[in-house]
Amino acid sequence: MNEFADTTFAAPKRRFNWLFAIGVTIVAGVTLLALIGPYIGPYDPTLTTPRVSVPPPSLSEIPGLLFGSFSNTLEHPPHWMGTDSSGYDVFSRVIAAPRTDLTIALAANFVSLGIGAVLGLLAGYFRNWGTELLMRVSDVLQSFPVFISAMVLVALAGRSMGNIVLALALVYTPIYIRLTRAEVLQKKVAGYVEAARAMGTPEIAIAFRHVLPNSMTPALIQSSVTIGFAILLTSGLSFVGAGVRPPTPEWGLSISTGANQIILGEWWPSVFPGIAISITVFGFAVLGNALEERYE
Amino acid sequence: MLKYVSRRVGVGLLQLLALTIAVFFIIRLLPADPVARLVGMNASPEAYAQAEQQLGLHRPLLTQLGVYLGFDPEIAPGLIQASLGVSWVTGEPVLKEIGTFLPVTLQLVTLAFVFAFVLSVPIGMAGALNPGGGADKGVFVYSLFAGSQPEFWWGLLLIYLCFFQWGIAPAPLGLLSPLTSAPEPITGFLLVDAVLRGRFDVLHEALSHLVLPVICLSFVVSGPIIKMIRQNMMRALQSDFILYGRSIGLPKKRIGRYALRAAMAPSMTIIGILYGFMLSGAVLIESVFSLNGIGQYAIRSVLNFDYPAIQGVVLVIAAVSLVIYLLLDLIQAAIDPRIVY
Repeated sequence: MNEFADTTFAAPKRRFNWLFAIGVTIVAGVTLLALIGPYIGPYDPTLTTPRVSVPPPSLSEIPGLLFGSFSNTLEHPPHWMGTDSSGYDVFSRVIAAPRTDLTIALAANFVSLGIGAVLGLLAGYFRNWGTELLMRVSDVLQSFPVFISAMVLVALAGRSMGNIVLALALVYTPIYIRLTRAEVLQKKVAGYVEAARAMGTPEIAIAFRHVLPNSMTPALIQSSVTIGFAILLTSGLSFVGAGVRPPTPEWGLSISTGANQIILGEWWPSVFPGIAISITVFGFAVLGNALEERYE
Repeated sequence: MLKYVSRRVGVGLLQLLALTIAVFFIIRLLPADPVARLVGMNASPEAYAQAEQQLGLHRPLLTQLGVYLGFDPEIAPGLIQASLGVSWVTGEPVLKEIGTFLPVTLQLVTLAFVFAFVLSVPIGMAGALNPGGGADKGVFVYSLFAGSQPEFWWGLLLIYLCFFQWGIAPAPLGLLSPLTSAPEPITGFLLVDAVLRGRFDVLHEALSHLVLPVICLSFVVSGPIIKMIRQNMMRALQSDFILYGRSIGLPKKRIGRYALRAAMAPSMTIIGILYGFMLSGAVLIESVFSLNGIGQYAIRSVLNFDYPAIQGVVLVIAAVSLVIYLLLDLIQAAIDPRIVY
């Protein structure tokens, strides 16, 4: 090995990427839970049980409970993650929550991606005072403090899922405008654009039919990261009381319900949903990173 | 240089003005009724009208904006008169209230960043010096993991472990216990004031309450900082001047130092962005530890529909972020001789 081996930009070797596999597994798992999570839990995630503040079973009790729940000899299905101080089954809520969190995150991401890509395309392809103004507006939007703005928007507009989606979309759109515009600026001088123009294709058609599809890569890669952060933001909003309303199953809301008890030692209502957020957002970050390495 | 700074400040002021106007209209166009929130749902129409009058909400929108910006000083002082208006809930000037809450947050976030930065530089470098090695992979996975964590949850977890289980941390109930008298403010920053007044008992108490929140915040921000330093360090190590340094046989340590300096400058940008992000993101950790910072002031204002306070918080945080970006850009120019304004 010569001394300067690390000074060349060698293409990374294509081999099995553990990290990528982990990311895909996590994202696929959460997506599956978003589809079927609310139906497979032992309890209805939005109804309380008469048993409050039940701690989760200890490790030594788990085999017995598993056997019991398969042979139907228990009085009631076990509370795998305990119950919180109102009697909600923590496990049922944790696996039902992706329906809420992932829906909000995906919707917010794709609304802002759609709007951002179109505006970014226009701003990059047609340079005039109108698109210049658009970029200045986008600058102003980007200088909004993210968390507090989202909190203000949701609290004043009403704490519904739709409003959370719109608030998140508003703070994420400038990122997509910027990413798409930068890519369009590079792609609009490509040979295929010249060719299309020579054939007499109208400019607007060149922009949407040829430049846009070729400029989407950075925005699509960013999506994975944005979805992860949108989940963090959604749960953070619920945590401060400016997110979805109880009893909607949502991870941040569950953490917030348990937060007052944790100081008294009742850890399970907060710890389990937190682990779920932690793993999920990590999964999206890993996936986003792997995509970035592969396509950039 | 001076020209560059004044241009940046000018653009920044314009941006803040646009932001103020945008926020002003956005919160008034949303379907919230601050008057009803203030007088209660069952108030008589007369009481409602009187409250509306008191808040100035009976005036046309543009007049309200004019008052807020300070074009009608005979009605109430506005931005031009250096006033952010009066809180609808407490009746105190918003600027004064923010002045007591903001230092808590600045203190917390700054400590967290200093701590995170000091930890991240050696870790990021360790990864970059041997790309693809075991240490590098570990560093990389750590940075992805830390950067995607819900810090408020880690705060709760640490409270459970350190306060409830092990009893090594104080209760998460603010910076000082109710029995401790705070020193007379000089700067507004409790830690600084405690030192200036010679109150080392207060300093010790405040620091012990800050340990857990600072650990949580710095853990979360260390992720992207390490990622950035690692990436910039790798790029710097591959650049021509390092190749030249190697070819003339400079010692490894010296090459590392040069590369670090070149890697530091672009890392400043991410720190600026993260700092601005954290000023508003600290809301969560502040409320977990009841620190009474700007974030909790924001929550209180938002839940009470206190429009002047909401506008003030957004404006002040955006302004502080812009100042931080500018300062870091100047630091960047100071470390990196290749940057010329």
